[in-house]
Amino acid sequence: MNTLIDRREALRKTAMLMGAAVSASTVAAFLQSCKTKPDLNYKPLFFNEDQALLVSQASEIILPKTDTPGANDVGVPHFIDSMVKDCYTEADQKKFLDGLNEFDQGSIKVFGNRFIEGSPEEQLDYLKKVHDEAVNTHKSDPTVPRPFILKLKELTMLGYFVSEPGATQVLQYVAVPGAYKGCIPLKEAGNGKTWATS
Amino acid sequence: MNLNTESEKKNTYDAIVIGTGITGGWAAKEFSEKGLKTLVLERGRDVKHPDYPTATLDPWQLPNGDKPTQEDLKKQSVQNRTGYTVRPSSKHWFVNDLEHPYTETKRVDWMRGYHVGGRSITWGRQSYRWSDLDFEANSKDGIAVDWPVRYKEIEPWYDYVEKYIGVSGQAENYPPLPDGKFLPPMDLNCAELELKKSIKQKFDRLLTIGRTAHATAPMPHTPWRGQCQFRNLCIRGCPYGGYFSSNACTLPAAEKTNNMTLRPNSVVYELIYDDQKGKATGVKVLDAETGEQMEFYAKVIFLCASAFGSTFILLNSISKRFPNGFGNDSGELGCNIMDHHLGVGARGELAGFEDQYYSGRRANGFYIPRYRNVGKDKRDYLRGFGYQGGGGRQGWAGSVAELAIGADLKKFASEPGKWTVGMTGFGEFLPVHNNRMTINHDKKDKHGLPVINFDAEFKENEKKMRKDMMADAAEMLEAAGAKNIKTYDNIGGPGLGIHEMGTARMGNDPKTSVLNKHNQVHACKNVFVTDGAFMTSSSCVNPSLTYMAFTARAVDYAVSELKKQNL
Repeated sequence: MNTLIDRREALRKTAMLMGAAVSASTVAAFLQSCKTKPDLNYKPLFFNEDQALLVSQASEIILPKTDTPGANDVGVPHFIDSMVKDCYTEADQKKFLDGLNEFDQGSIKVFGNRFIEGSPEEQLDYLKKVHDEAVNTHKSDPTVPRPFILKLKELTMLGYFVSEPGATQVLQYVAVPGAYKGCIPLKEAGNGKTWATS
Repeated sequence: MNLNTESEKKNTYDAIVIGTGITGGWAAKEFSEKGLKTLVLERGRDVKHPDYPTATLDPWQLPNGDKPTQEDLKKQSVQNRTGYTVRPSSKHWFVNDLEHPYTETKRVDWMRGYHVGGRSITWGRQSYRWSDLDFEANSKDGIAVDWPVRYKEIEPWYDYVEKYIGVSGQAENYPPLPDGKFLPPMDLNCAELELKKSIKQKFDRLLTIGRTAHATAPMPHTPWRGQCQFRNLCIRGCPYGGYFSSNACTLPAAEKTNNMTLRPNSVVYELIYDDQKGKATGVKVLDAETGEQMEFYAKVIFLCASAFGSTFILLNSISKRFPNGFGNDSGELGCNIMDHHLGVGARGELAGFEDQYYSGRRANGFYIPRYRNVGKDKRDYLRGFGYQGGGGRQGWAGSVAELAIGADLKKFASEPGKWTVGMTGFGEFLPVHNNRMTINHDKKDKHGLPVINFDAEFKENEKKMRKDMMADAAEMLEAAGAKNIKTYDNIGGPGLGIHEMGTARMGNDPKTSVLNKHNQVHACKNVFVTDGAFMTSSSCVNPSLTYMAFTARAVDYAVSELKKQNL
């Protein structure tokens, strides 16, 4: 795709915003910093490196590390790579990649950077903006197919909540309940959190 | 000559049972316990209780969140018509459609697995008795032929089967749905209790907890079985024996008698008819692994290979006496395909009960038995429908389309969501001669055998009934105060209820039916068909309990006839 050109273009814009002439060494430093991207914690089989990085960063924003593990801790990016590779039709794979690309292009428009090069604040702001628009659109007309960001959110949540930490620390899970109690006070239903499976 | 006689002797049994699903298991148990040397032939691989490969896997031990891969879907595109069977946790219980194809003049969904236990592993376990409303229906409506049996005759066999398999349920004294010998009922949850109350008050209709073949109490007569653990992973096979299956119950019981020989990988493709004796002498078998052809012999043969499976064998058994298929003097063999039509109903959200929840996973829902065309109620269609449904609080998926993100999203998802409740109709499907299966010799399966061609469809009566099925569901939810009610109607193809039946129906007259009231082929007394093929009409209730009751009754009859040397 057009990644490198976009990156230089973005840099130029950033430099202009900074209102300063940028020396060759500064540019070099910037480019350097762009090359030392955060490491992926898995080897993607479907996404290229930039796509994988975007998915990792976006999923961590959707479900970050708090007092419980984050999306990256529990292997959500790997899960999404595998799902899109093995379970999606070719048409849906293309739609997903187009969605990623569109999301990235939007990021350049909104804050001048590709998503993966944004600061954590920029990434959060941008993702939340896209997400909230999508949710509001969906709420006003649920028949419209869910836009990309909600697909990504759903995949992130699926990967997270089928993971052991997601199912047992954020939700609750009992492998062998042994009994069914149909109508009990919430506080008596285990720890009162959502059951991971039904 | 001598050698042949020897091998014939070795391959000779008192009884042959074809199939190990819910009826084959019963026939195997009953024959073995009555002391007959019984050969049980299963076309698929062996599965021994409690070796179910995915039964104890936690969600994180299954690939891709238990979603099917595109590769899976290529192999099981027909089996995937249900939308819920081809998953990493359960796909091994369903056939590879590339190896086991069939053809369709009109769409029929044939969902099945080839392995010991058959669909008794994957069945829905809902167990309801028929009433005379069902047995008398054809006669009263002038549809098809009359059932040669009434409730009084089958009632003791329902008792017998229920006591053995264990049916959890609530007695309700509602005549269209006779009570049975029940184990303790499972709980309804808060939303369901509210709906039950409202339906009773506003419509005088009954909502009861599903009657399901789960051991909710100890089963002393099958001490190797445990009780239901409320894991709700039944479709994977239950290592506790918490629900009834051939593998967990009837086959081990038969095994204990030392009278049963179970032979997996044995594809029966033809019955052997002896013109001089005027009866069947045995079966022709293809070994699924080696391709070897062999014959087995017995005094009595029970076909329990599923409605379409057994009917295929009969249609494929051509002799001078039976040029159009075994026992097919009536021309009804392969005709009258029935199922239940479903996929229509409504769901909605129920306000309140925010401080209440449930614990455990109940593999059961509620049941609203038939009320249409009952008593004074008269509709513009024949027969009726029941509803199966359930309530619950939304899980994490309810928060996908909410504004929460980040730490807020974790919190949102960890709090139980809105209460929802829904119901799906199960409607009766009238028998029609032209809804039929035939053998297609132009296409072959992986064994080189011809395949089935289906030509069946839902007719006007079913379509009219569905309008009520959708509207009544929405109306009952609305009356209970549900909000955001959504209706749906996805009819699918016949077969999607996985209750296929009717292709060798029983009746009083050999000119219009294949079997008599004892599941015995009119024209060949030592051959019986006791799977869904014998059904003369479909009722609207789940059929397995009725298949089991008729199977046990037919074995009892066959053995008494053998003793009288009438077979």
